[in-house]
Amino acid sequence: MRFAAILDGTIGTAPQQARALGDFLREGLIGDLVGETLVVYHDERDKQRLVELSPTRDVRLIKTPARRPDRMVEILTAVARGEGIPLFLFAGGSAGTELATRLACRTNGAVLTDALSIEVGPERLLCRKNVYSNHMVGRFELSARPRCVTIDACWKDGRSPTSLEHHVLSDTDETGGIGTTPFEDLELVDPPSTGDLAESRFLVVAGYGAGNREGVERIAEAARRMGASFGVSRPVAMNAWAAMDRLIGVSGTRTAPALCIVVGASGAPALHWGIEKAAFIVAIDLDERAPIVRNADAAVLDDGVVIVEELAEIIAAEVSR
Amino acid sequence: MRILVCFKVTPDFEALREADWVAGAAHGVETRYVRRILNCFDESALEMALRLSDTLAGRGVTVGLGALSVGGREAEPYLKTLHALGYERAARVHSEASLDFAPAVIAALIAGYVRRVDHSDLVMLGCRSGPGDSGTVPFLVAETLGWPCLTQVIEVEPLPDDRVRVACMVDDGILRVTLRLPCVLAVGNAVVSHLRVPTLTDRLARRNKRIDVFRAADLGVDIAAELRRETCVLAGLEGIHRARQGVIIGGATPREKARVLFDSHLKSMIEKL
Amino acid sequence: MHLSREAIVEGVQRIVGPEDVITDEEVLRESSHDRFRLYEDVHGVYTQPIPAAVAMARSTQQVAEVLTFANEHGINVVPRTGRTATEGGLETAVADSIVLDGSAMNQIIEIDTYNMQATCQCGVPLQVLEDRLREQGCTTGHSPQSKPVAQMGGLVATRSIGQFSTLYGGIEDMVVGLEAVFPDGTVTRIKNVPRRAAGPDIRHVIIGNEGALCYITEVTVKLFPYLPQNNVFLGYTLESMKTGFEILREVMVNGYRPSVARVYDPADAAFHFSHFAEEDQCVLLFMAEGPAGIAKATAEGIEAIVARHQECRKVDSEFIATWFNDLNWGPDKIAQEREEIRQTSNICRTTEISSDWGCINEIYENALRRVVNEIPDITMAGGHSSHSYINGTNMYFVYFYNVVDCEPEEEATKYHTPINRIICEETLLLGGSIVHHHGLGKARTPWVKDEYGSSYYILETLKRAFDPNGIMNKGTIIPK
Repeated sequence: MRFAAILDGTIGTAPQQARALGDFLREGLIGDLVGETLVVYHDERDKQRLVELSPTRDVRLIKTPARRPDRMVEILTAVARGEGIPLFLFAGGSAGTELATRLACRTNGAVLTDALSIEVGPERLLCRKNVYSNHMVGRFELSARPRCVTIDACWKDGRSPTSLEHHVLSDTDETGGIGTTPFEDLELVDPPSTGDLAESRFLVVAGYGAGNREGVERIAEAARRMGASFGVSRPVAMNAWAAMDRLIGVSGTRTAPALCIVVGASGAPALHWGIEKAAFIVAIDLDERAPIVRNADAAVLDDGVVIVEELAEIIAAEVSR
Repeated sequence: MRILVCFKVTPDFEALREADWVAGAAHGVETRYVRRILNCFDESALEMALRLSDTLAGRGVTVGLGALSVGGREAEPYLKTLHALGYERAARVHSEASLDFAPAVIAALIAGYVRRVDHSDLVMLGCRSGPGDSGTVPFLVAETLGWPCLTQVIEVEPLPDDRVRVACMVDDGILRVTLRLPCVLAVGNAVVSHLRVPTLTDRLARRNKRIDVFRAADLGVDIAAELRRETCVLAGLEGIHRARQGVIIGGATPREKARVLFDSHLKSMIEKL
Repeated sequence: MHLSREAIVEGVQRIVGPEDVITDEEVLRESSHDRFRLYEDVHGVYTQPIPAAVAMARSTQQVAEVLTFANEHGINVVPRTGRTATEGGLETAVADSIVLDGSAMNQIIEIDTYNMQATCQCGVPLQVLEDRLREQGCTTGHSPQSKPVAQMGGLVATRSIGQFSTLYGGIEDMVVGLEAVFPDGTVTRIKNVPRRAAGPDIRHVIIGNEGALCYITEVTVKLFPYLPQNNVFLGYTLESMKTGFEILREVMVNGYRPSVARVYDPADAAFHFSHFAEEDQCVLLFMAEGPAGIAKATAEGIEAIVARHQECRKVDSEFIATWFNDLNWGPDKIAQEREEIRQTSNICRTTEISSDWGCINEIYENALRRVVNEIPDITMAGGHSSHSYINGTNMYFVYFYNVVDCEPEEEATKYHTPINRIICEETLLLGGSIVHHHGLGKARTPWVKDEYGSSYYILETLKRAFDPNGIMNKGTIIPK
C-alpha cells in the first residue's frame, strides 16, 4: 500500500515531526507499505534541511504560505484526489489533527488521531490507540480511503534517524491564489520551554505528594541540578504550585525519556500516559501501594523531596568528577 | 454575538475499579454504574463563555448564551444548572445509540443544531473528550459549517465588529490571533477550569425555563445511517499492561537509599545522557 | 513564666533535637489552622496566631518532656497527627504555641490475630494499618472518609466514626487499651482487657479529649475478620426523608446490623446519585457484611422491611457497590477541591448532629428551612443520615455557598458560623446533640454549655484536674 507522510515545515516542530514519523515508519507500521514524504515549506531557506529530515527516501516539496492550514488542506485534498493515495500520515499535535480531520472530510476518507500502530492487511487496515483516558487500548478499523492518521506524538526512542539518500521527486509552488485568511494579527510566542519536556531524555515529575509549592520548587531545583527536565502532575498544576505548561499526562505533554523519576505522585493512568514510554522509571513515594510503585522499574519508599535532593547531590558530585 | 457551548457528560473513568476495565468487548466498557461528570475541557468552555458574556455586558452588549449536549437525560441536571447561571438556551439531542466512538455523528448533530435551530455564530467546546479522545469533533463541525476553527484555546477576549482575540497552545508555542466570527473554538488547558455555581435563588428563579430535547431527525441527521457510514469503527479493546519490575530500594537513611538507587541503577544511564 | 519564641524553640530543640523542630514560616502558617479555615487557607490567608514551632516527637518520652516543658512555662500545646480535623481543633488559638506532631511515631507495634488486637503508635495512618491487616484477613472495621490520610492518635482523640459503624461501632467501641501523656508529664498506660468493672471506664477521659486533656501516644484496637466476599449492597429511591428515617429505625429496632445504613435527601443525592435517582428523590442504601449467613440474612431482613413501604423502588446493587468504591478522600481529590474553591469562591461545609428517632426529621426540616431562608448565597443545602443506633441516628448536613463580597477572613463570620448556629439551635431545641463525630473543636464550643447542661460540671472539672495550667489545646472543647 502507498502512503504519504506529511512533514509540516511551516511550523517550528519539523525535527520532532520527522523523528516521530521516522520511528513510527520503522516500528509502528505493520504490513506491506511503501511511501514518500510530502514536505510542506514556506521559506526557501528551509528546503535543504527539511529534505534531510525526511523519514522516507522519496520526497516531494510543496511550497505554501506560512500558517495557512486552510490552504494546506486544499493542496492535500487535490493530491489525495489526483493520485488516489490511500494513507496519509501526520505527526500528532494540533496541526496534524486539523489537517487529518479536514482532509478526511473533504475526501470522504477516514480519520484517526494518536495512533500507536497501523496494521495493513489484505482486507483491512487496523489502528491501535489509547482510549478511556489511557485505561485501555482500542483497535479501530478504518474502512474509507484515504485514511488520514495522526500518530501518537510520542514516537521517539532517541535513536537518530537513519540517514537516507533522499530523492526529491518534485517541487511545486502553491503560494498563488490563496484567497483571504480568517486569521489576523498573528503573534507567536515561544512556549516558556515546554519543548524541553517533550524532547527530554531525563525527566523528573513532581506529584501532589510534594506537599506544597515549596516542596515542588525543591524538587524542581533538584531536577535542575541533576540536569533533568521538570514536569508535574495535574493536581500540582491545578493548585498553581507550578505553571500549567509543566503538566505531564493525558491533558498535558507526553514524554519518552530514557530516565524518568516520579516524585510523590501515585501514578494514575492520566499521568502515566505522559511517562509510560520512558525506558526506565523510578518511583519515589511514601505509599507502597501506589500504582506508580508497581509500574516502575525501581522504587524508593520515602519522602520524595528528601530523596530527590540527596540524589541531586550524588549526581552533581559524579558529574563534576 | 450568539454563543453556543457544547458539552459532554461522561462517566467518571477514574472512579472505576481496575477490575472494571474488561478487555475484549467491542462495544466498549461497562460504565453504567459509575457517576457522571462534566468533561473538564467543556467545563472550561462553559465558564469562559460566561466570562465573555460578563465582559461584553460590561460594555453594554448583550450576548445570548446557549448550551447543547448530545446524549440522554444525564445532561439535564447540567442544563438546569446552566439555565440558573444565565444560559438562555439549554438543549440536548437525544440519542438511543451509543455515540461514544462516533465523532462524525456528534459533529453532524452539533452542526445541524447550529444551522437549523440555534443560528449561533460562535461555537465553543472542549478540544476533546473521553472515551475516544479523538479531538476531531471541533474540526468536523467547522468543516460542516464552513467555518474556521482553532483548537487548544486557552483565552478568548471579545473585540469590536464581531471579532475575538484568541490565545491557543499550538505545537510550537502560544499563538495569539484575531478571528472574525463565525468560528469554532475548541478549548484546551485553560487556566479557567471550573464552572461557577448558581445559588438556590438563581435556580428557583429559572426553574421553569424549558430544556429543549431534539431528535436527530429534527436536525436533519439520520443517526443509524450515519453509523452505518462510519469509517472508523471500534473493533475491540485491549488492556494496558503497565507493570514493571518494581524493585524496592533498601536503605536505612534517605542518603543511603539515594546512593543505592544511583549505584545500582542510574549511574551508567546518567553517564550516557 | 512567659518565654520568648526563641526560648521556646530552643527549649523544644533540646528535647527532640534541632532536626525535628520546624520553624519554616510557611510550615508554621499552615500549622496554625485546619480544614475549618479551608477558605482562608486556599487564599493564603492566615488569621490565627503563628505557632513558635512544630515539634516532631519520636517517642512517648519526648512527648512527656515537651509537655512538661510547656506546662512549666504556660505554653499552649496543640497535639496533632494526620491533620484532617475539620472543626478548628488544630488552630493555634494562642500566640507562640507549640504544635506537637506525632506523625513520626508511625510504628505498628503488634498485630495479634489470635487475640484480635492490633497495637500501634499514634502516627500510624489508618490506611497503612488497614492494608496490613487485610493482608492477614482482618480489618479494624473503621473507615472514615479521611482514612487515606488520618492517623490513629487523632482518630481516637476526636471520637471518630467510620462508614461501617452501624455494625462495628465508633472508635470508642474499637479501642481496647491506650497510652496517653498528661500535661505534667505523667505517662499513663491502660492495659488491654476485653471488659472490666474496676471503677469508671477511664478510657473515656482520653477518647474524644481532642487534645484538651492529654496526648495519645499509643492505641490498641480490636480486630474483626475481613470478609469482603460476602458484602451485599442494597439501594432504593424514595420520596421522603421522613420515610427514610422510618425505615432506618425499623431496620435497627428489628435487630439488624448492616454495616452501612444511609438515607440521602434529594439535594445531597443529586451530588452522588444523579445517574440513577431523579431530581426530587431521596436515596436509601445499605451494606451487609460479615459471615455469609449473617450478611445474607441481614440483607433479606432489610429488603423485607423496605418492601413494606410502597414508595421505595429498588435500584441495581452495582450502582451502590461502584459508588462505595470511590468514597474516600485522597490527595488528588483534596488538590482538586482547593483549585475549585479558588476559582469559583464556592465552598462545601458540613455539620453533623444526632438525636433520637422521634425528633430527627423535625430537626432536619427545621434546620434546613432556616438555613435556606436566613443565609445568603446558598448554592446547595441538604444532607444524609449515615450512622444509626437502636435509639436514634445522626444527620449530616451538607451545604455549599458562594463567598460573595467577603474577604477570606470574614467567610466564617458571614456564613459558616451562622449556619452552625442555626443547626445547633434547632438540634438543642429538640434535645439532640450538636456534634455527632467531628468533634467540638473550636467551632462549636460556643454551644458546649447548652450541649452539656448540668453535666458541664464533669467536663470542666476534668479540664481543671488534668490541665490546671490550661496548656492543652486552648479553646478546644472548653471555650477560651
